Amino acid sequence: MATEKWVFMVTAQTPTNIAVIKYWGKRDEVRILPVNDSISVTLDPDHLCTVTTVAVSPAFDRDRMWLNGKEISLSGSRYQNCLREIRSRAGDVEDMEKGIKIRKKDWEKLNLHIASHNNFPTAAGLASSAAGFACLVFSLAKLMNVDEDPSHLSAIARQGSGSACRSLFGGFVKWTMGSKEDGSDSVAVQLADEKHWDDLVIIIAVVSSRQKETSSTSGMRESVETSLLLQHRAKEVVPKRILQMEEAIKNRDFASFTQLTCTDSNQFHAVCLDTSPPIFYMNDTSHRIISLVEKWNRSEGTPQVAYTFDAGPNAVLIARNRKVAVQLLQGLLYYFPPKSDTDMKSYVVGDNSILKEAGLDGASGVENLQPPPEIKDNIGSQDQKGEVSYFICTRPGKGPIVLHDQTQALLDPETGLPK
Amino acid sequence: MAEEKWVVMVTAQTPTNIAVIKYWGKRDEVRILPINDSISVTLDPDHLCTLTTVAVSPSFDRDRMWLNGKEISLSGSRYQNCLREIRSRADDVEDKEKGIKIAKKDWEKLHLHIASHNNFPTAAGLASSAAGFACLVFALAKLMNVNEDPSQLSAIARQGSGSACRSLFGGFVKWNMGNKEDGSDSVAVQLVDDKHWDDLVIIIAVVSSRQKETSSTSGMRESVETSLLLQHRAKEVVPVRILQMEEAIKNRDFTSFTKLTCSDSNQFHAVCMDTSPPIFYMNDTSHRIISLVEKWNHSAGTPEIAYTFDAGPNAVMIARNRKVAVELLQGLLYCFPPKPDTDMKSYVLGDTSIVKEAGLEGELPQGIKDKIGSQDQKGEVSYFICSRPGRGPVVLQDQTQALLHPQTGLPK
Repeated sequence: MATEKWVFMVTAQTPTNIAVIKYWGKRDEVRILPVNDSISVTLDPDHLCTVTTVAVSPAFDRDRMWLNGKEISLSGSRYQNCLREIRSRAGDVEDMEKGIKIRKKDWEKLNLHIASHNNFPTAAGLASSAAGFACLVFSLAKLMNVDEDPSHLSAIARQGSGSACRSLFGGFVKWTMGSKEDGSDSVAVQLADEKHWDDLVIIIAVVSSRQKETSSTSGMRESVETSLLLQHRAKEVVPKRILQMEEAIKNRDFASFTQLTCTDSNQFHAVCLDTSPPIFYMNDTSHRIISLVEKWNRSEGTPQVAYTFDAGPNAVLIARNRKVAVQLLQGLLYYFPPKSDTDMKSYVVGDNSILKEAGLDGASGVENLQPPPEIKDNIGSQDQKGEVSYFICTRPGKGPIVLHDQTQALLDPETGLPK
Repeated sequence: MAEEKWVVMVTAQTPTNIAVIKYWGKRDEVRILPINDSISVTLDPDHLCTLTTVAVSPSFDRDRMWLNGKEISLSGSRYQNCLREIRSRADDVEDKEKGIKIAKKDWEKLHLHIASHNNFPTAAGLASSAAGFACLVFALAKLMNVNEDPSQLSAIARQGSGSACRSLFGGFVKWNMGNKEDGSDSVAVQLVDDKHWDDLVIIIAVVSSRQKETSSTSGMRESVETSLLLQHRAKEVVPVRILQMEEAIKNRDFTSFTKLTCSDSNQFHAVCMDTSPPIFYMNDTSHRIISLVEKWNHSAGTPEIAYTFDAGPNAVMIARNRKVAVELLQGLLYCFPPKPDTDMKSYVLGDTSIVKEAGLEGELPQGIKDKIGSQDQKGEVSYFICSRPGRGPVVLQDQTQALLHPQTGLPK
């Protein structure tokens, strides 16, 4: 019988997420089980997302994957674990339109083509593996008709990349560390959806970095092995902060949210510094941004902006509302102006309607900026051109979705190869 | 009777010190009692020191002090506490040559003139208050014939500035935190003298800093109040490290010394970062220097250089011996060259003979290039100081070095 040539595809879009109570350190390197709980906010996939098309066909002779246009190997254990776990949960699939029927037992003999694309640069240090593995697992689950809720799927995504499990939901998400050895209870759950606290505006400063950073995977392993402060953090500090953060999110208590977010970010970086050899993810620009925000919050009396940094120098700033976000952007652009001849539309990306509100969409915008008096004179002169590569303006966002529009598929519907 | 105009003076020189197991956090702000022990190395006063002249005369109408040529106020509690404590221990003094006799009970009615001078810039963040208060207390003790050993004097200096207590000795020094409420057992003791491990060479990189730093006093108070990691450090980590460091120093075990020194410096800065608001003393240049040293030690196979940073961006590097120090200096000058037209004599201070040994006219040996990174950091380092472990306070008998005029008791 001639090899069947049908191709069955699903395309999905997944957001990325930023932890506000940080995950740093594993108790199990193979199953990717953490030493403490973590909480994150999911970012709006309109601005930052991964799109993944997964396809199955009897004509495919092996599993293959393309990431941002380049073919990559699927032989690593993280990919193998995700593929194995998802396949073992596959169900019957029927596409009546195309007349395709795949039975549960057929999946183990069928090969997959996977194409994935981030709409933001990998080099920007914006947690692309979280979004990537979440999208992989979500889209395969849809393809294979896996009957599991997002928390169960998160346990699979977790085995690709820890923080990926939190990208299976929108809004605010908690990754429960779990206590079982097999990790079946180390899953993500949604604390609140993206509508719960939609006043918040998120501005990310993508900070220029000279050096190659230590990867999260090796960094956190070195921290577990050498930091004498890490265990104390994991056992004594984080559990309390998790409870306080859940309360703060539930009650939309921005003051508590800010205090917890900033101190947890700083403590994570403190543990990195307490590692041997020490890991420095933040640089002088990151510190200047922290200074700016700390001074502003203090001069306003009540916190206006929270900050958090992941394993890199980028600043993620969370403003209490749109008005504050506009002022914050004005302040940031004053202290970190673009190099001459930079088009503002490429210097502030994402929701760039904020540029108009900040009075910065005209030609003369930045030169005429007067910073808010609260932060003027506080962090030194306006001479930091080039320290920030660009800004992204976004907000809390929704979880993964299937994209039905075939034009967004990354694989050709006939060949199953990248378009 | 005409007012007597005699002046009795003593001039002393005191070293500064760098902690290798850090003091950060007080359990008593008034008596300056710390939450953990600390250990330091005293630097050679030939290179970095405070000079203080103290004078007493019936013609002085009030206590006065001049610091680096400028008159300053002595009304703050730190100065008042030191002066009170020292005065209460004053004894009879006789200067037969000048025919002056001061009885123990006279001291409370006599006033003092004090002039102090650091031979290094205050702005350089090189712990000038440690050397300063130590010198004040030491000089006054000599002037007033105070019969106390250096440890007991250290308890007085401690009330001026915590780390000052460690500058009462040379070599390696430990500040015992003590447990008495009155702080009488919170004193410095000498672990070993400056000859014990005299292979060590110390190179300080004075790093350019744009911003005004948080003072140690307020910084450590904020850390005590807000850092959730500090108590764990003080109670669980430091006691173990103190014992290990004492062993390492006793045995001249450079490998252990390096591991302890570097990780304690990093942990101190980690606690600063864990403070609210966070305190960043180190900057990108500090980090680059750490990177350079970490890479160096890694490629050498065994640690050759330890680093430590205080409450500022300056790097204090301790090389295992002269040969390593020379190579390190070559590497540092390659990575952090002076701005064009800079005279080397003003770019490497202290023990400048090392500049010659480093043969800085020629091309940098490839072996050293392999150990470090790229050369593009002009101006990041203001200058270097080359020093070594040094001796404790001494009286300077040479009258030309006195900072006060022997007749008027005023600054020269």
